[in-house]
Amino acid sequence: MSVVKNPGSASKWYLPGITIGLVSTFSTMIKNLFGRNKMITLNYPEEKYEYGPRFKGNHILTVKKDGSLRCTACMLCATNCPAQCIKIHAAEHNDPTVEKYPISYEIDILRCVFCGYCEEACPVDAIRMGPEWQTPALSGSNFTYDIRYLAYRPNLKGGIQSRLDDEERHKVGI
Amino acid sequence: MPKCKINGKEVDVPQGTTIIEAFKASGQEIAHYCWHPGLSVAGVCRLCMVQIEGQPKLQIACNTEVKEGMVINNNSETVKDTVRWGLDFHLINHPLDCPICDQAGECGLQEQYMQFGKYDPEMAEHKVKKCKVVDLGPTVVLDSERCILCSRCVRFTDEVSKTHELGIFERGDRSEIGTFDGKPLNNKYSLNTVDICPVGALTSKDFRFRQRVWYLKEHNTICTGCSTGCNVKVYYNEEGCWRVKPRYNPDINGYWMCDEGRDIYKFINKKNRLQEITMTEKGVSKVFQAEELLPQLGLELKNAVQKNPESVALILTGQYSCEEYQSLLNLMVKSWGLKNVFHWVNHPESMEQFDGLLLRGDKNPNTKGLLNELDLLSLTQTWKDLEEKLHRNLIKHLIVAGPENLATFSDVKEKLKLFSSANKLIWLSAGIFEGVSSVCSQVVQIPTKTFFEKEGSYINHKGMKQRVTPGVEIVKSALSLCEFVEGLHHDNKGAHFQDMDSALVDTKLKEPLKENFFTATRGSL
Ligand code: SF4
Ligand code: SF4
Ligand code: SF4
Ligand code: SF4
Ligand code: FES
Repeated sequence: MSVVKNPGSASKWYLPGITIGLVSTFSTMIKNLFGRNKMITLNYPEEKYEYGPRFKGNHILTVKKDGSLRCTACMLCATNCPAQCIKIHAAEHNDPTVEKYPISYEIDILRCVFCGYCEEACPVDAIRMGPEWQTPALSGSNFTYDIRYLAYRPNLKGGIQSRLDDEERHKVGI
Repeated sequence: MPKCKINGKEVDVPQGTTIIEAFKASGQEIAHYCWHPGLSVAGVCRLCMVQIEGQPKLQIACNTEVKEGMVINNNSETVKDTVRWGLDFHLINHPLDCPICDQAGECGLQEQYMQFGKYDPEMAEHKVKKCKVVDLGPTVVLDSERCILCSRCVRFTDEVSKTHELGIFERGDRSEIGTFDGKPLNNKYSLNTVDICPVGALTSKDFRFRQRVWYLKEHNTICTGCSTGCNVKVYYNEEGCWRVKPRYNPDINGYWMCDEGRDIYKFINKKNRLQEITMTEKGVSKVFQAEELLPQLGLELKNAVQKNPESVALILTGQYSCEEYQSLLNLMVKSWGLKNVFHWVNHPESMEQFDGLLLRGDKNPNTKGLLNELDLLSLTQTWKDLEEKLHRNLIKHLIVAGPENLATFSDVKEKLKLFSSANKLIWLSAGIFEGVSSVCSQVVQIPTKTFFEKEGSYINHKGMKQRVTPGVEIVKSALSLCEFVEGLHHDNKGAHFQDMDSALVDTKLKEPLKENFFTATRGSL
């Protein structure tokens, strides 16, 4: 539907509005020029805002003490994910104490709604939502995070350790 | 016929019925692990406790017969409490394995804990550790920690397969399932132990870790692995079919099926299937749509038969449904006047074999149906006649309704060599067989639907007719023989006949694929 609005006579009185706007713009500019540390905007991307520790950003797969993946490929996160953006393929591990592990783990981050349900579903603290959120990329395929990226991307400096350890659990008799 | 009262409901059961059977018959819930309707009673799990009026102690329902006038309940607080703490005993040494346990989602412990348990465990002792990931044989993996020693698997190998491989070794909380002297659990029915194991102690090597069970849907169908026609469920999801399990049918397979039959999900999966209708001429293959190729092919064949009935031959295997044979024979024999119809028998030497339980040597689901149809039309030519005719180069056009399950046809290669004296081969098959396209100077390959995708009936060795319904579409351009026939005599060129599946099909049981399933659109950003 196209609506034609006839400009009324009031629309000719734009000059006062513009003057008020310009006054506001220039006064803020002058304030910012002379008191830069009080400025309320950030010089993004050089300066970045720090979110609280509970911020739910990009996912991290945690690792065990020996650096191998903590994930047991139980697929509870994938089941719980409302956006259905987690895709896991499980396989049998050579080590019988590990038994099941993921050979591929992918998150389609463009589809993720950052709800954190995956983190909540995980029985072994294998997936966490980290602080990162500014992760631009050039092509769509870069937004499907694979297992290496999720666990060992350079930011994580060799991997984040899981709180849950099987051996410790066995020692206390569970 | 003793009458009893179960939780206030009058039940009338035959003499000799146990209480647990009366519970099942009256559709009431009762906790149990070791009782299985297809096995003898062991009475070891002590979970099926019931209270019988006039008896001071609780009794187990699986080993107590119903007597006239019994008043039984399992919903009093005493019974509930007993079941709850019985469950606690079972779980004392049970590992916290659900995340990596294949049984999760269909596990007796999980279900009954949610239904009857929900207690806080009161055990302060350390759990007893046992062997995990024990390789029991070619098909089954054992996890002793998860085993609740219900002895179902032991009774199965003793009573049903009669191979006696499994036993319970050691005593007390060190008891473990095992095989004597480390001999493997290796029989033709071994995977039934995985089905009846109420927990994740026995898992199938073939299915292990491939899917979580809650991602799977099931479709009731029959096994086409041999002429017994066991009733089965095929589990599938968007990525394909994953496993086959037996379905109870007292007249055919009881509760069981053989291990061989569990492989039938493999040949219906897309990667093992012929995908397109192709015509190969002088080494060049071209893909066709059914609508373009079939009417023209139909005309060509019809003319050939009417000019010289001896120059065309139809070869049928026992792999298709009765309706398919009917429509094919109606068209070619009744209306065209074809005489050369032959039955390709894949294992002539072992056709009559039977192992005493389920497995038969006739590896086709519908040999009986085919023979019936051939008899009706008095088509009596034998394979010898075909060989002779081919050697004398009488046959120019060969239509072969070939194997659906290639694994049961060991003789395809030599048969193809025989067929090579024809000029044109029309090869209908579900699977891919290397080298078909170069057998004759002109080869038309048509992908067929498997039993999982079509509607039809199969007659088993006993003469019982069983109907199957379509599960999902797996190969888009596959045709059932009915649809193939529909295409052949379709004068109206270009009309859409696929999915008509002839007039026989009244209800389509197609389940639409869930859109946006996370695996469906991966990587296509
Ligand atoms: S944060 Fe939510 S949407 Fe994103 S992967 Fe986890 S469960 Fe799925
Ligand atoms: S991340 Fe956690 S919930 Fe997801 S599959 Fe791995 S162990 Fe299971
Ligand atoms: S047997 Fe059942 S309760 Fe035990 S680990 Fe497996 S799923 Fe869990
Ligand atoms: S392995 Fe399974 S079927 Fe066999 S005794 Fe243990 S729990 Fe029962
Ligand atoms: S079912 Fe009765 S004791 Fe196990």
